[in-house]
Amino acid sequence: MRRVAVSGIGVISPLGNSTAEVMACARAGRSGVRRLEMTFASRLAAPIAAMARIDDGHGIDVGKVRMLDRFSLFALLAANQAVQGSSGALAGIDRARVGVFVGTGMGGTHTMDDGYQTLYGEDSDRIRPFTILMGMHNAAAAWIGIEHELRGPNMTYSTACSSSTVAIGEAWMRVASGQLEVAIAGGSEAPLSPGSLKAWEALHTVATMDPEDPSSSCRPFSKNRSGMVLGEGAAMLVIEPWERAMARGAHIMGEIAGYGQSNDASHITRPSVEGQAAAMVAALQAAGIDPQEVDAINAHGTGTQANDRTETAAIRAVLGDRAGHIPISATKAMHGHLLGAAGALECVLSLLAMQHEIALPTMHLQQPDPDCDLDYVPNMARDGVAAQVMLSNSFAFGGTNAVLVLRRARRAIS
Amino acid sequence: MNTTFERLRAILVKEHKLPLDRLTLDAPLESLGIDSLGTVELLWHVEDAFKIKLPSEPVDLPTLGDVVRYIDELVAGEGRAAAPADAVAPSLRAS
Repeated sequence: MRRVAVSGIGVISPLGNSTAEVMACARAGRSGVRRLEMTFASRLAAPIAAMARIDDGHGIDVGKVRMLDRFSLFALLAANQAVQGSSGALAGIDRARVGVFVGTGMGGTHTMDDGYQTLYGEDSDRIRPFTILMGMHNAAAAWIGIEHELRGPNMTYSTACSSSTVAIGEAWMRVASGQLEVAIAGGSEAPLSPGSLKAWEALHTVATMDPEDPSSSCRPFSKNRSGMVLGEGAAMLVIEPWERAMARGAHIMGEIAGYGQSNDASHITRPSVEGQAAAMVAALQAAGIDPQEVDAINAHGTGTQANDRTETAAIRAVLGDRAGHIPISATKAMHGHLLGAAGALECVLSLLAMQHEIALPTMHLQQPDPDCDLDYVPNMARDGVAAQVMLSNSFAFGGTNAVLVLRRARRAIS
Repeated sequence: MNTTFERLRAILVKEHKLPLDRLTLDAPLESLGIDSLGTVELLWHVEDAFKIKLPSEPVDLPTLGDVVRYIDELVAGEGRAAAPADAVAPSLRAS
């Protein structure tokens, strides 16, 4: 297996639309969660979400934009940013050797919602002709392929909240094994349509709104946590063999060192300590890294009672005593839960945190929970954390667990 | 009352973001970047604007002039008889 470098990163997120913006925001502990201003917000029990903001000067042709659901627009913008930042990863390459791997949990939910509004809300049969093309889950990956003329595998993964971790992991396997030379991998999600917001509310997993400070409503690992807050955005990586990135003098932002998966096979929503631990173990085995070498973790940390308690126990099960001595960050408190894009954004944040030698904070951790007794870096970033190896955890409804092992960018080991 | 061509051009400017000076009667749709998929979209807007229902049979419309004639025939036809009950958007031509 070949070592795999991350040589390009693109982000469209509630914390900003560049790695610099995202890092500045995350480091300062600024939350992207806001009160929703849309008209429909009055029908929501908790009218809050973490929104991404994009202006009209994004550079995508208007003729193309009208064929893009919001999740595809996010994905395309993030992918373009990643390619532009990769110092020419695609220059002169056989495009059949480049793949696209995108995770999304809900696909073009805005488009489908609009269609149903026309059909049922307005009692009209005038469904827009591009509804299928905009709503389909693989639209984002397809548009990235079209934009950059990438003729290799064009793959879409939908495993709920682990979708983009799976996408990056599957891309890593193809590049590491030599099947592909370069991959664009990540995830995108735009779940803030009325139908989607209401459906999530009906599941009783979303946080109640903090009336004093809506931006602090998501409180992972805090005893008074009440659930997740939905977020939107995309994060994309350009990955390629380490030696290739080195040879062309690319700025290497980190290394994907391993990827593991497991399936709980027990309950459609209730998380399992064994399942989560199995994914972490599988990822470490794939990377050939001992659990005692793990220096930090970006937790799945949704802010639900069940996940945070379970994940704490799973981390203990894998790392033993070391679990209590490493920083564990739950950044969803700031950027919300991007569902199928969450893993990719958290992978990016992990790579940036290692580069900057800090541990990102778990914000709004107001009350210690005896069941969540690890070091979550509460409420303030920690400087001087020179982590070499991080795990990025993603656990999903359906029981589909996925974990990435990330390494800090280091120059050649020779 | 605007002519059919003027109304068609208004759709193309608004929905397809095309410049007015390129919209001549002899302009091939392909040259305007309107492929088979674009034609489906255009005719969807035409249905709305002209309050007509398009038949389900595939239709070959090489130029804007052909689209104008097609619309005029349908409008005239709808004046003579109600649209067939099963009328839906035209099928996509293989491309």
